[in-house]
Amino acid sequence: MDSVYDWMVQTPINELVMGYPWTWPALETFHFLGLCLLIGSVLIMDLRLIGFQSTIPLRAVHALMPVAIVGFAVNLITGLGFLFGDPHLYVINYAFWVKMGLVFLAGINFLFFYFKVEPRLEALGPHEATPAIAKTVGALSLVFWFGVLAYGRLLPYLGTGGG
Amino acid sequence: MSFLQSLEDSAFGVWVSTSLVGYPLMITLHAIGMAVMVGLSVALDLRLLGWFAGIPYTAINRFLSIAWIGFTINLLSGTALFCMQATMYVQDGTFLLKMLFVLLGAVTAAFLQVALNRNSGSWGTAAPAGIRLLAVLSIVFWTAGMVTGRLIAYLV
Repeated sequence: MDSVYDWMVQTPINELVMGYPWTWPALETFHFLGLCLLIGSVLIMDLRLIGFQSTIPLRAVHALMPVAIVGFAVNLITGLGFLFGDPHLYVINYAFWVKMGLVFLAGINFLFFYFKVEPRLEALGPHEATPAIAKTVGALSLVFWFGVLAYGRLLPYLGTGGG
Repeated sequence: MSFLQSLEDSAFGVWVSTSLVGYPLMITLHAIGMAVMVGLSVALDLRLLGWFAGIPYTAINRFLSIAWIGFTINLLSGTALFCMQATMYVQDGTFLLKMLFVLLGAVTAAFLQVALNRNSGSWGTAAPAGIRLLAVLSIVFWTAGMVTGRLIAYLV
């Protein structure tokens, strides 16, 4: 893996992130904007799945999905910026790997919802109670994403380094 | 200044700034509260602008009540962070600007919630022009509050 990290620091991305004093703070700011878009839309979708506010038709909350995807994309891009900027800072920090593990679990949970759970929901009436599997997926999603947020913010204080 | 200094010197202020858990705990709670308040507020603003038209105004109003839980978390964790370096923060232009934007964002959110409670029954797919303008301002205030808040760490 060391060769991968060495390659990262030789890329133009590394130069862009580390070569100017404003790049890192700008990436941090966009990372925060992205997380707000992601958490806000995920919170509404998951709470509806769990059963909160069943006056909202199930299909209507699906419209929030693009907002969550845009938020995630912003954070994937800015996050890769941090990693290419200072890979050695992150890869030796266990909190970084916990955070990445939680992102992975949230992703698997989302794919399971998208391909296995949501098709079943389409047979339900707009205000009908969701099955236990949908409630479980919604609750897990909240646990994983808030975990990602917490471990991301704690990164600089657990293990060493990060920003 | 002596009151601010006494905040910094208080047992609580010292705990936040010097203990192993104080500052990381408060800064993490602050990020969680921000995500809840700003994330839900912006989703509500987009709804008022005509997005996700299938979501009833009354339902989105309930989510704004959850947003205030996030705001409360940040009022408390923010107060704790302020106690840590009170004398520095009050002289920091970026911090004061952030406080102004957060205040404007909170007042706008409160006003929008009252308007939703009273009048949303008669609104169409998108809210009236005045409300839509406030929704745009709300997005501007929260974004500006977040940008300035994040930059406190870099511009001090």
